[in-house]
Amino acid sequence: MTGPESLRPPKRLAARVVPYWILGDGLTSFLLTGLAWFLGRPWLADNWEHWSPLLDNVLLGMCLGALTLAFCIPPLNYARWRYGFVGDLLLMRYGILFVEERAVPVRRMQHVDLVRGPIERVFGLATLVVFTAGNEGSAFRVPGLPIQEAQELRDRIVQMRGDGRL
Amino acid sequence: MTDDSDPPPLPSDLPSDPLPGPQPSAARPEEEFPAEPKDSWAEKAHAPGPEVPAEANGDDELVVLAKGHLHPAILLLRLIDALRQAAFPAILGIFTNPWFLVAALTLFLMRLAYSVIRYLTLEYTLTPEELRIREGLLHRQERRIPLDRIQDLGFESTLLRRSLGLAVVMVETASGRGVEAKLDALSRADAEHLREVLLTARPAGSTSATIGGSVNSTTASSSDPDNQQRDADGVAAASPPTPEVEWLVHRTTTRELLIRGATDMRLSAFAVSGYAAYELAHQLGFLTQLAGIANSFQNWVTSLSPVLLMALLASLLFLVMALGIVTSTVGNLVQFHRFEMVLRGNVLQRRFGLLTTRQKTLPRARVQRVTIEQTWLRRLCGFAVVKADSAGGSRTDGQDISAGWDVVVPMTKATTAHALLPALLPGIENTKFTWKQGSRKLVARSAMQGTLLAGIAIGGLWWRVEASALFALLLIPLWTAMGVLVWRNLGWARGEDFFALQHGIIGKNFACVPTAKVQAVVVRQGIIGQLLGLADLTVYVAGGSPTRIPDLTLHDARELCIELSERAGIAAATDW
Repeated sequence: MTGPESLRPPKRLAARVVPYWILGDGLTSFLLTGLAWFLGRPWLADNWEHWSPLLDNVLLGMCLGALTLAFCIPPLNYARWRYGFVGDLLLMRYGILFVEERAVPVRRMQHVDLVRGPIERVFGLATLVVFTAGNEGSAFRVPGLPIQEAQELRDRIVQMRGDGRL
Repeated sequence: MTDDSDPPPLPSDLPSDPLPGPQPSAARPEEEFPAEPKDSWAEKAHAPGPEVPAEANGDDELVVLAKGHLHPAILLLRLIDALRQAAFPAILGIFTNPWFLVAALTLFLMRLAYSVIRYLTLEYTLTPEELRIREGLLHRQERRIPLDRIQDLGFESTLLRRSLGLAVVMVETASGRGVEAKLDALSRADAEHLREVLLTARPAGSTSATIGGSVNSTTASSSDPDNQQRDADGVAAASPPTPEVEWLVHRTTTRELLIRGATDMRLSAFAVSGYAAYELAHQLGFLTQLAGIANSFQNWVTSLSPVLLMALLASLLFLVMALGIVTSTVGNLVQFHRFEMVLRGNVLQRRFGLLTTRQKTLPRARVQRVTIEQTWLRRLCGFAVVKADSAGGSRTDGQDISAGWDVVVPMTKATTAHALLPALLPGIENTKFTWKQGSRKLVARSAMQGTLLAGIAIGGLWWRVEASALFALLLIPLWTAMGVLVWRNLGWARGEDFFALQHGIIGKNFACVPTAKVQAVVVRQGIIGQLLGLADLTVYVAGGSPTRIPDLTLHDARELCIELSERAGIAAATDW
């Protein structure tokens, strides 16, 4: 338990978190690009004298870029996400550009939440939120857990704390 | 009022009162920890310790340690407040519409009635388990704060309140909201009494927690918590012989405060002085003339030689700076006037202030992190500020001027600051720190970042200014130099129960975190960090801002992460 290799969290998220992220987190970017392309562009072309084909292309590029990102980020994110218990530490490892590895001792957890949004429910997923004492950065989230697994995880935390204070 | 129980003779006066004991003098800087108990302090402290008048309340068989109401003089203050509030509408009413007069009167009466009701209904009760504050007539509320959740009992006393012998008592818990309950205001004797009783009534475990050095990673999880607790108590009680004796840990001299003010290079000070100058000009009615003057001024300026103009500008700038320094110096002198920190049992107590006097207690076990901060100017002079984060207290760096709540030593010699650490973090004196330097790759990281920035800048500016954009290449040596500076100042150490970090660019900051207080640990790698195998380590504690160590090697960071979080988990078994 002392080697740095032990910091590798064992578990992956459920694979269906990818479509969930695409649908859930991508929803805003879909909406925005749709608005920009189908409403904003015709309106600008009609009412703004400086509108040019160049700007048209820039807008197209931006919209396509946003869409690609919305489709590309979730799989990459999924590929990186790891979580799990090692001893009585809850470990997480995630991030694409900025990789974060987090370690939270079970005994330091103040309370545990299970959060399920509407789209999350459709996919049968849940987010586990763990709080420690403190102000800044005291909440730790593990998204995209199958609901059963999330509940088991929560029960396990409660059990490991073992003092009924959760 | 606590007529039923004589408040014990005050063990100490508020700092405003003339001390019979040794006067603080610049000539005696070696009064720091570990100090002999000063005669006067010791004598005063030997006054009968807070004898807890435990009396059974017939109604609900409750042991009441202290009970009382606000001091009646607060009504006078409220009256003044209400008058002040009503003054503006009243003046408006006299000169314009008389209805404003009616409004002013209603406002005044309502506020007064509210204050009277509040005064009549508010009652605090201290039992061995909790502090209860009951108030309200229509909307009743009773707040109960468990004693072992009370972090601090702070006193604050503005000039007006002080002249009436009052103090505002502020009860702080770890909820993160800072002040949980405020008793505005009690008589000073009552306030002192409340604190005495509170400190003695507090369950022993809550103040000594786990910090006493008994957190042994091999045995802590298996041995029973009671044993642990006794251990911790033993260690804690070993340093001062009797809990009632006050040990003077530190007293800040006026000279040190002057240095604090003079080295306070905050921009806000400049802004304030600039604004003050503008306001002065405005008050003197210059602004209307200014428009006229501006034209002639413009002519005059253009007639001046450039050298003279520069000199003029420079002297103006200097004036503003000087004014800023003077304001901050005066501000510091007023705020931290006669700052002193004493240790009673396991509780640190700070008293300071000229106009508004503050008394702030800080149980040592609640200390989450101690920092020794040196801005570059202070580093040059060899002086430092010591701050302590306690659970629940939130602050961002550089925010100390507003309240000074977390300042433990406003200004002292850097060496003295380090010598004071054992007073704040008991056990640190026995800890062997093996310091490690950061990875040399840090410089490479910084250089690469500079290159990246330069690339972006050149790419963005080229179509505008063409070849001049190449000046952005200067960013590369600049960032490299900064990397070298950061690397030279960076160091971290792991002791048995403590974890220390030293960092800075031109200034120098030292931070020490008891490993038992760690809440969570995060290792973070940026883009360049991933390329070079570097990672940042951030350590979260229950109060204050997180401690971040930049650019460790990934191996070191992971090792440290695992070790710290495991120790934290073990320590948590005996802590809350």
